[in-house]
Amino acid sequence: MSYDLTPGEELTHILYAAQSLLDANYPLDRLRDSAHVDGMAPLADFGAFLLSLPEESGGAGFSALEEAHLHAALGRHLLAPTALASTLAARIALETGRDGLAQAIASGETRVCAGVSTRNDHFLFEPDGAAMAVIRTDDGLNLVGLKDAEMEPATAMGHGRPLSRLKDVRSVGNGFKADEETARLHALLTSAQLLGVARAARDLAVDYAGTREQFGRPIGSFQAIKHHCANMAIGVEMVSAQLDMAAIAVRDGREDAAFQTAALARLAPRVALQNARLCIQIHGGIGFSAEADVQLFLKQAHLLRNYLGATDFLSLPSPMFPLAKVPA
Amino acid sequence: MMLELAPEDVAFRLNARDWLKANVPAAPAPHEGHPSREYALEWLARLHASGWSGLAWPADYGGQGLSPTRMILWYEEYVRARAPSALDCTFVALNHAGPTLIACGTERQKTFHLPRILEGRSIWCQGFSEPGAGSDLASLKTTGRVDGDHIVVNGQKIWSSFAHIADYQELLIRTEPGSARNKGLSWVICDMTLPGITIRPICNMAGVSHFAEVFYDDVRIPLSEIVGGLHNGWNTAMTTLGIERRTAAMTLQLELSVKIEELIDLARPAPGTAAAEILSDLRAEAAAVRAMTYRTALREPATPFDGSLVRLSYAELAQRIHRTAVDILGAGALAEGPWVHDYLESYSETIAGGTAEIQRNIIAERILGLPREARA
Ligand SMILES: Cc1cc2nc3c(=O)[nH]c(=O)nc-3n(C[C@H](O)[C@H](O)[C@H](O)COP(=O)(O)OP(=O)(O)OC[C@H]3O[C@@H](n4cnc5c(N)ncnc54)[C@H](O)[C@@H]3O)c2cc1C
Repeated sequence: MSYDLTPGEELTHILYAAQSLLDANYPLDRLRDSAHVDGMAPLADFGAFLLSLPEESGGAGFSALEEAHLHAALGRHLLAPTALASTLAARIALETGRDGLAQAIASGETRVCAGVSTRNDHFLFEPDGAAMAVIRTDDGLNLVGLKDAEMEPATAMGHGRPLSRLKDVRSVGNGFKADEETARLHALLTSAQLLGVARAARDLAVDYAGTREQFGRPIGSFQAIKHHCANMAIGVEMVSAQLDMAAIAVRDGREDAAFQTAALARLAPRVALQNARLCIQIHGGIGFSAEADVQLFLKQAHLLRNYLGATDFLSLPSPMFPLAKVPA
Repeated sequence: MMLELAPEDVAFRLNARDWLKANVPAAPAPHEGHPSREYALEWLARLHASGWSGLAWPADYGGQGLSPTRMILWYEEYVRARAPSALDCTFVALNHAGPTLIACGTERQKTFHLPRILEGRSIWCQGFSEPGAGSDLASLKTTGRVDGDHIVVNGQKIWSSFAHIADYQELLIRTEPGSARNKGLSWVICDMTLPGITIRPICNMAGVSHFAEVFYDDVRIPLSEIVGGLHNGWNTAMTTLGIERRTAAMTLQLELSVKIEELIDLARPAPGTAAAEILSDLRAEAAAVRAMTYRTALREPATPFDGSLVRLSYAELAQRIHRTAVDILGAGALAEGPWVHDYLESYSETIAGGTAEIQRNIIAERILGLPREARA
């Protein structure tokens, strides 16, 4: 065997199938209604929430690599983080020996939303109809029940997608904590979604730059605009190459999996925010308006960045440490 | 997609590591002039003697014909061992002139030059840029008038790296009178000892002389030194652009992953501080540049122009890493030292071999398909 980074046939097939599902069920314009809540049934039917679970646990037996690419595709369509939460919840349920619950989550029967809980703020994203949540806290991920949750609707950033504030974070209890492997998958898949956002913003910007005319020419012929687009392409390429590196490391249980995933998680939110910002700028006035889709990328990037959280990247050993400094 | 090694590849890596450990010179490379030439040639000869030169060259031409995987393994070991910079005065010969001759040269040109290059017996330089032709290379004016079985060259080249210590130059000149732009050019092997050549080294902002101006005054070069056909020089020059996917430029990209570790070691930032945040971002980008290097080398089919994405990411990251080093050194950076020297050298990263602005134009127009801008 030797290194090979050519995408395999299986991956190509999965992505092809996923793409038609996404186009049919999750077109961007669904989000023009800010009260819209993403249904999970089409994804559950697709098997999206158990793609990388082993077959003996009822999963599809694919790897973190296919799963990461699937989430990049979901990211492009600005899927609610409910999809991430459901994938992670099924894992946590299995890890903690709750096979029945894992099945109910994977089939979409039990809806699981995403949430963040930091020192001062405790939010749930699109909690309508959710029985459980996967909440990102400063020290890990927890799967909690929402039966006794005390929450109230909050207005999301820029009147965006449905959000609730947990009035008392203790009302959801501690739940089950994700193990290290699932925490790593959380970083990988959330970063993959951020890559999807960055790609979508790049493509929308490039399209617009090629069609919008001012001074008798497409604005994409002006270098200032061209260079913004080039920067978006560079960002996407960096994150997508790093995503493959990290996904392969996770799939194969490589020693550098923690390093590669943390590097990815450091880069992905920055690039998604950059591309969202440049996409707005390239669209001019319409980019600033709530009537176009452009602004959605920015808000999604902020949301996903917070769901991702931060790690102490410098504490992880690098695979490229200078040899002179490697202890024998 | 996989990054898994066969036992033979693992053995190859360990073998490379051991060899480098035993052979990397303890003394750092001299910065300039003939001592730098001697040092580089000696190092290359040593690499050659153990079968480590011409890694990407086909075996038929004395190269190692290494697989892309092994190229990566070798270069990773190379940078982790802190072996001499691959961007020294042997770079043009090994990564540009040699591959061009392999692709377009005559048998005589190949048998004469290729062994000399591989064995560390000749240094090449590139004479493309002129005072009036930089980013707009096709506007070059140096002429070669055909006179019997010679061309007679008149004009001037500039920024030719290592020209003052080189044996040969790949010289791009206008051979068809009255031709314009990229038509009527020829790619010629120029012996740097020919009468009529004057070379003036130019000191760079880091205080060393790596590049030079070259003046040609009725320099007579045999027609047999033309590579790829008379008036066909643009195509010859373009052929080698495609080769850049798997060259020693990879070492520079991979080296950033080592340099950032050295910088973190130098800074030792407390967690959560602004310095730790900056270094984390740089470290993540260095990891991504490594990932892009893998992708560019390994993914099939190669996507044209992807090289621009990794090159530019590399160049700008290299500059930021060195700027950060200087920030960390504070007043200490006012005195000469390795980080400071490399910091000043890093200003060339976004100029040499196509400026950052030109690379962005290429990305926008060739990869993203945005409308071309006006051209001369
Ligand atoms: C360290 C070093 C080593 C080099 N070695 C060699 C060598 O060995 N052989 C050789 O032939 N050459 C060599 N060069 C020359 C190098 O290729 C040129 O410097 C480079 O192509 C830029 O040309 P220029 O310097 O004339 O700048 P110019 O082309 O005059 O550019 C000046 C500025 O204008 C910008 N600009 C120009 N055109 C455009 C455009 N269309 N759109 C936007 N911005 C534009 C540039 O980006 C730049 O910022 C070397 C240069 C350096 C710095």
